[in-house]
This record gives sequence, C-alpha cells and structure tokens, in this order.
Amino acid sequence: MKTYGTEPGAPTPVQVGISELTVSDGDDTLKSYGLGSCVAIALYDPETEIGGLAHTMLPDGDEAENSDRKPGKYADTAIRALLRRMVERGASYTSVEAKLAGGSDMFEFDSFGDGVGQRNIAAAKAELEKLGVPLVAADLGGDRGRTVEFTPGTGVLMVKSSNEDGTQEVTEL
Amino acid sequence: MKLDVNALGTFYRMAREGAGLAAGRLTHMTDVETRAGVTKLNFMRGREIRRDFEDSTAKVGVRVELTGAIDGYSVIVFERENALRIVETLLEESATDAEATTDDGELEEFDEMTKSAATEVGNIMNNGFIDGWADVLETVIDVSTPEFIEGHSAETFFDDVEEAPAGDDLALLFQSQIETIETQVGFSHYLFPERESMASLLEQLRASDGIEYDKLDGFDRMAERGAEEVAKTATTLTGIDTSVEIRRLNFVSLETIPEQVPDERLVGVAFEFDGLPSGYLLFLFDEESANEIVDAMVPMEVDEDGFGQMGQSAITELGNIMASGFLDGWANVLDTTIDHSTPEFIHDIGAAAVDPVVIQLGEEQEFAFVFDTVIVADGQEFDCEIYAIPDESDLERALNDLDVDRIEQAPTTAEFQEVTDT
Repeated sequence: MKTYGTEPGAPTPVQVGISELTVSDGDDTLKSYGLGSCVAIALYDPETEIGGLAHTMLPDGDEAENSDRKPGKYADTAIRALLRRMVERGASYTSVEAKLAGGSDMFEFDSFGDGVGQRNIAAAKAELEKLGVPLVAADLGGDRGRTVEFTPGTGVLMVKSSNEDGTQEVTEL
Repeated sequence: MKLDVNALGTFYRMAREGAGLAAGRLTHMTDVETRAGVTKLNFMRGREIRRDFEDSTAKVGVRVELTGAIDGYSVIVFERENALRIVETLLEESATDAEATTDDGELEEFDEMTKSAATEVGNIMNNGFIDGWADVLETVIDVSTPEFIEGHSAETFFDDVEEAPAGDDLALLFQSQIETIETQVGFSHYLFPERESMASLLEQLRASDGIEYDKLDGFDRMAERGAEEVAKTATTLTGIDTSVEIRRLNFVSLETIPEQVPDERLVGVAFEFDGLPSGYLLFLFDEESANEIVDAMVPMEVDEDGFGQMGQSAITELGNIMASGFLDGWANVLDTTIDHSTPEFIHDIGAAAVDPVVIQLGEEQEFAFVFDTVIVADGQEFDCEIYAIPDESDLERALNDLDVDRIEQAPTTAEFQEVTDT
C-alpha cells in the first residue's frame, strides 16, 4: 500500500471505511473512524508483519447475495477475505492472531432486539473460532463509539473512545 | 413511467462506477492519487437546482449530449475555484505553467489554454461516468463534442437544454466527490434524460412493480413539510430564528450514510418511528450549537461539565418536539399516522451514532432513501442535521397508497377555523 506522508516514520493512516478491508504490512497504519455497533477486525501474522483491518457492519455474509462484491461488509466473509489476502502476500495461516474492537449498543430501540452490536460480536467470534484463529485481545460492547488504528508490523490496535465529559480514553490492545 | 429500488440501485451503481473510472483517469492524467469519495443520487426540483446556482460562487461546467442507451444531456459542474486548482495541477504536470499562472503561481482566469485544459478534464470525467454507466448497463452510449460553460447562474448551463427540468419537475442528480490526498474536489453531475429514453431504461431495470415516477412528488412534499415543521418548532422552543438551509432526498448505499457525518463529537437525539413508513430519525448538532441551544432553553446559569443532566434534558426535549413536528409533516402528506419512540440522547463521534441504524436496516436492504435536512439560524450557531431513514419497503407502500392529487390540498398544520357565533 502506498503511503503519502512526507515525514519519514509518520505515514498518513490509510482509512478503512465502513464495509471496507485493507491488507498491509510493517509500519503502515490502518484507521477506522467512529465505530458504533460496527466491529473492527484486525488480523496479523507477527512473524511476517503482514496484517489487515476490516470495518464490518453485518454478521452474516453467507446469507447475503452481495458478499462476493463486498466481503468487508460482513464479519464472516471479511475474516476469510483478510486471511486469504494476507496468505497471498506471504503470511502464514497458522501464526495469524486476531484482535477485535467495537460492537457497542448505542441505542435501546425495540426494533434492535438483543442489540445490533452484540450480533456482530457473536458472528466475528464464531468465525474466528471456526477457522482456528486465536482472539488475543478485544475491546467490545458498551455504549460508546470508538476510533481504531492498527499497525500490522507491531500488531498494536489502538482504541480511542470519548467519555461523556469530553475526555478521551485510549486503550492499547 | 415507473421505478423501483432495483432500478435506482442500478443508477447508484452507475454513479459509483462512473466516479471510480473518472477518478482513475484523472489520476492517470495528473499523476495525483485520487479516489472516488461519497456518491449520492438526489432527486431535485428544477427550481432547487437553479437555486443551488445562485449561491454567488462562479461555476464552470462541461456539457455533452448523449445518444444510445440514454438520450439527453450530461453536465459536470465544478465550483470555478476547484476547476482552476485541477487545471493548475494539470498544467504543472505538463510544465507549461509559466504563461498560464500569475506571479504567485495561482491561476485566476481561464484563458484559451486553461479553458481547453478544463474542458479536457471535464470531458475525461464525463467520459469516465458514461463509460461506467455503459459498463453497468452493458450497452453503448455515444457522446458528443464537449462544450465549456462558465457562469454564475443556472441559465447559462441549462436554459438551452430542452430536457432540463422546469421549476416543478424532478430531476435526477448524481453528486460525487473525488478525493485527492490533500483535498477533496467536489462536483455535481447532472443528467437530463429525455423522458421517453428514461422511461424505457427504467422499464428495463425494474425488477418489481415499483411506483409511479410522478409519485416521487410525494417524497418531495414529505421532505418539505417535515423540514418546515422542524424549523418552526425549533424557533418556538428556543427563541432562535431558524430556517431550512438544505432539504434533499438522497438515494444512497447504506454505508455512505455514516461516511458523510463529520468525524467529530456531535450531540444528537435519536428515535425509531413506527407506522407507514417506519424507520429512524436522527437530529445531530455540533457541540457549539448544542451549547447555544442549552443556553437558550435553560434560563439560569448551569455549572456543568459537557452536557450534564440539565443540558441533556433540554436537548432531548427539543429533539422530541422536533421529531413530532417532522413526522406530523410526513403523516399529513401521506394521510396517515406515524408514532415515534422515546428519545435517546447521544454525545459521541458522529458516525458511531449513525451506524447502528444502518446496521439494523442493512439486514433487509442495501440502499436507503435519506431525507437530509439542515436547519440553520441567522447570526447564531444553530446547525442541526436531520437524517430520516425510512424502511424501504414501507416507504414504497406508503408512496403507492399516496393520492398525488390530494397533496396540494393537505394543510401543513392544523388550521384554526373561525368560530362564528350563532
């Protein structure tokens, strides 16, 4: 992935929009803004430093007809697409680890049932387990929005959220 | 002439595909990395299109005539400043900038050379769009020689186009953003098809019964009444004189909705509503506006950090009454009742407030009609963005039930009748 930063060592983060996924390596940073009930899925191989970030919005892609066109939209197809693209770039499947963030339930509307965030979390966890990818860290649920930044080279997933009084909370996963 | 979501979805894909191709070709030409940003499909009345041109910024456009799968006109319109920046980049690339730019290196006028460069850019984009459409439609569209237009008013751009919509006619407008790393180049893309050509295209794309094109008029009335009611309510409640700045009906893919919300902490009130149609309604304020509103609504000095109990309840109360006004406006046009839930207060990054709604609707639909409304106040901070996102199938049913002839007579609000003593 080409980066555009002019200062060495401070590359501009690559923005991963809702329903998108991006695979990269090394010091590149991948960023997703304002996750509410969406779930950010970060996968990386610590040995090759290849990793990727997906900003998923729905749980089940196998049921949807457009998941071929938009694998990043669904938790299950996003995880498989990330893995496939990482392996194509040289990552080794067996050493890949996963980190998750997001899946808040911002509103308690009747139509939301058990919560749209919870459904996404469950789907992401189930797919990781099915594929045998260990989930090493997670910051999930609650009722606050999150912005995440992922560096495949280090495997660090920075999660920022804001408290009601305006202070920012930064968690490093 | 009838249309349905499938046909509109195809139009949307055409716009996206077209923007992607246009961005790619622009990159190729200027060597500046670009990508297609947010794409929207709008329905606008002729008079609103004309009003958009009257914001006193100079504009330039490139117009081509289409024949083949679509007959009509395609016009790309940039703000003049944006067009100059692109042309500047272009000319720098070809290293002939010495004559074309002023001393400080900034282009200020279109001379023959820059004009032809701008026409070239517009043409490349027009062609990008049209090739994208042809790809999606799997057909051929022929394009005439491009025409360069510069001016302040809509007349210059559209008046000699027979297909351009009259004041009350609805037109389809594609709005796209092309982003470079440093800046965003926004432009509008107007498509004015011949009615017959559009009708046969829609016929071909339609996958369900759909709705009569003329019923789209109902959409516009809904948007109009809803927005008016909100502005009125806000003025009454806060004492701040507010008016409707933007009112637009967009057809977008669901993912686009959170992307267009500012990347900053916003204060909002959210509702679900139930009836025909059902859906979600969000009022979002920037923090500064929310503070002003709290000041206007809470008479005493409040010593609170952020938005405490008092602030929250003031904003929530305002949201609640605005929601009732908005949905009553709709219900009036549709001749039905629409109930809404209790309000939910939110103070968080904008996109995070919108994505739960998009997710919930995303289980059943890929696209959504979004009634975008912006309310502003003169000389005071009161910026309120309203997103009303109805359930798609409900909306289709509601519109189908709509008696277009009745709309004209529907009163906006209850009218007070004179009581005569007998």
